[in-house]
Amino acid sequence: MGRSFWLPVLGALGLTAVGEAVALGFDPFPPVAAEEARVADGAFRILTALAVPVFAFVLSFLVYSALRFRRRPGEQVDGPPVHGSRPVAVTWLGVTTTLTLVLIAVGTLGLEEIRHTAHLPPDLVVRVEGMRWGWQVSYPEAGVSTNRELVLPVGRRVRVEVTSRDVVHSFWIPAFRAKIDAVPGMVTSVAFTPNRTGGYREDPDLRVQCAELCGTGHALMVIPVRIVTEEEFRQWLANQSRQM
Amino acid sequence: MLLPIGKGLLFGALGFLVGAGLAGAVRLLTGRAPWAPEVLLVAGYPPGLVGWLLGVGMWDYWVREWFGLPRREEPADGPGRFFRFCTDHKVIGVQYLVTFTAVMLAGGLLAMLMRLELMQPGVGVLGLAGYNAVMSLHGIFMIAVAVAIILGGFANFLVPLMVGAEDVAFPRLNALSYWLIPPVALLLVGSLLAGGFETGWTAYPPLAALNPRGELFFLLAFLTFGFSSILGGLNFLATIIGLRAPGLTWSRLPIFIWSVFAASLISLTATQFVAFALLTDILDRVAGTAFYNPAGGGKPLLYQHLFWFYSHPAVYIMIVPAFGIVLEVIAHLSRKPLFAYRWVVGAFLTIVFLSFIVWAHHQFTSGMDERLHVPFMVTTELISIPTGMVFLAALGTLWEGRILLNTPMLFALGFLFNFLIGGITGIFLADVPTDIQFQDTYFVVAHFHYTIMGGEIFAFLAAVYYWFPKITGRMFNERLGKLQFWWALIGFNLTFLLMFWAGMRGMTRRVADYHPALADVNLLISLAAFFLAGSFVVFVINVVHSWARGPVAAANPWGATTLEWQTSSPPPHGNFACRPKVLDSPYSYGVPGAVHAVAGLAGGSDREDQFSREEEP
Repeated sequence: MGRSFWLPVLGALGLTAVGEAVALGFDPFPPVAAEEARVADGAFRILTALAVPVFAFVLSFLVYSALRFRRRPGEQVDGPPVHGSRPVAVTWLGVTTTLTLVLIAVGTLGLEEIRHTAHLPPDLVVRVEGMRWGWQVSYPEAGVSTNRELVLPVGRRVRVEVTSRDVVHSFWIPAFRAKIDAVPGMVTSVAFTPNRTGGYREDPDLRVQCAELCGTGHALMVIPVRIVTEEEFRQWLANQSRQM
Repeated sequence: MLLPIGKGLLFGALGFLVGAGLAGAVRLLTGRAPWAPEVLLVAGYPPGLVGWLLGVGMWDYWVREWFGLPRREEPADGPGRFFRFCTDHKVIGVQYLVTFTAVMLAGGLLAMLMRLELMQPGVGVLGLAGYNAVMSLHGIFMIAVAVAIILGGFANFLVPLMVGAEDVAFPRLNALSYWLIPPVALLLVGSLLAGGFETGWTAYPPLAALNPRGELFFLLAFLTFGFSSILGGLNFLATIIGLRAPGLTWSRLPIFIWSVFAASLISLTATQFVAFALLTDILDRVAGTAFYNPAGGGKPLLYQHLFWFYSHPAVYIMIVPAFGIVLEVIAHLSRKPLFAYRWVVGAFLTIVFLSFIVWAHHQFTSGMDERLHVPFMVTTELISIPTGMVFLAALGTLWEGRILLNTPMLFALGFLFNFLIGGITGIFLADVPTDIQFQDTYFVVAHFHYTIMGGEIFAFLAAVYYWFPKITGRMFNERLGKLQFWWALIGFNLTFLLMFWAGMRGMTRRVADYHPALADVNLLISLAAFFLAGSFVVFVINVVHSWARGPVAAANPWGATTLEWQTSSPPPHGNFACRPKVLDSPYSYGVPGAVHAVAGLAGGSDREDQFSREEEP
């Protein structure tokens, strides 16, 4: 190993520091509009923080070796006849296994958190049916149904029960980090708690977008999501049932 | 020269007419309308396929003897052998390489069409249906390339050479696997004429049953391709198990051969599952069965499980041989033994095993039983352990090596960089909470292009340059090669890093139109993609020009130890003048006098021409 070994290690540490700083300041995601979205974004941050040193370590050794151990064309010298090293391989295996177990733990805990809220009794049940190419949204308790938008009250736990009339679609609201396929012949469900008011016009990520290829009109299978106060929501339901 | 192909087309057409005619007659006799295009197509296709194979040379060089007739002699030389049923594994390797390079370039052009449509929001040049058709065709073209370009091309050319055999175990079966490919191409082009198919290469039902007729062409093509893949896997396993030269024990196998062995285990045993899924998809469409139609009691989710039970292992059919190539190139061009050889072999076999129990990570949002989420997340994350071992081997070999930074080595290093990003981003898709958001977005598109294009295709390019002198007998242009490498590396990373960003910002995959808020990132991706495409022009110029006019290469320009370099370039029929003997590890660098294998050098050259160890200072 010797002195040359510590140079790429130092390089990896430097790269890690820079990488972590960049990763901390980096927020590429749509603004959060549901409680549960924090779990996904938190998981993303943890995974990124773990990924940066791995990337830095491999890159540093790769670049250092390529530059340091070059040979000129035509120069036919062999490297040392080293076929491996058990301590190095065992250490490597130990480190990668530990990292993987940490990743598994992070994922399992995050999933448990999402599951936990999904299984709490909802304040509101909404039924959504996908069809080529639109969404039929109904509020069974109020007897209201529309295909123009999904309106939700802020601060209430909502369970959406999803199915499809024809082919497989996928119900996705980017700002909620919530997605579930709409499958003909079965009912799937997803739960979330909107935590701020808003609408598609100001915030393009408040939309129900079909995320599973469903034919010609797939790209256009989008309806707006509008999150309103409890009061406005009741009023809207009343208006809708009068029109129906 | 093209006579066998003409004969194949004629016999194929006759076979098709016989099959379709019979089906029409049966329908007429049973009181149904004889004209049912999809039924006739499905009934005519198998006899048509058999007719094609017989015409293109199977009859002359193989089947005649089943009927007691003397088999015709295969003409040994001339360019004609590339255009008919030929059993020489080197000819078949070149057939695969040229065919799938052409398919790759065609698939690339389709990608450029997609980027043209996506340059700005709104429905543009292709239209919604047109975009879906182009995207679906791009998908299946590139899947076919990824499965066959290394395993069909380089494995065919190299496995018999590297194990010191005259040919593969079943040469005629090998020719059969290749000649199943042209009907696949014909069907895919036919699918466009029949209205295209809009399901992507995944062909999920019930959509697959509602699609234009092109869907049926696609399903038949995929089925045929899978058959070819099974036969190929069988052949490589038999060759590696049975035809190794004396002394070539399992622990002396070059790592590329191990990688082909591992990938072949998967193609031999997993492909049947997708064949079943496709067959039942066809039956649902043509015969009105209800395997996946909920109205008749079928389950759309069942198809997804069957499909991914093959299609996830399939990504290891693509990437494990790429690992093999990269480690091979790094060891020989660093002139150092492969680091942790046994650990890597163990890693390959572990990957084969794990690849069979990770499929449902494609379905975290599919509505499958929630109890499956954690087990599949765990198995998927576990794959990073053997994959990490491959990185250890690469870095350990480079360390204190004598690295020749030429074109093949640069592509091998480029593979490590790209695959590192591809592997790390895979973690975000294995993790359920983040995958729920990323599923079906450009994050996924970017991830698998990093592993397959930045990974496998970079390894393929490393292989093209590393074995170019062996296959063509000529040297490539090093300057053009380096230009292509840097151009491709920069273009590739610009294009696909931006796609991660698009995906995180909410860009759905497989769409022709998107929200105007995503206009800027899509414009940048398109420009970067057009730039990336330019690097492939350099590639084509270099390969075509060097193959025709390049300087004649020595038998062993890299001074490499493995057996394929111990014969002339290109190798003669039968590969070696006499049966080679293997004496030591293929990575016997750094020990004066150590020799991997002794082979009588065929083709008139002499061992003196090669790199000799006396030159060492």
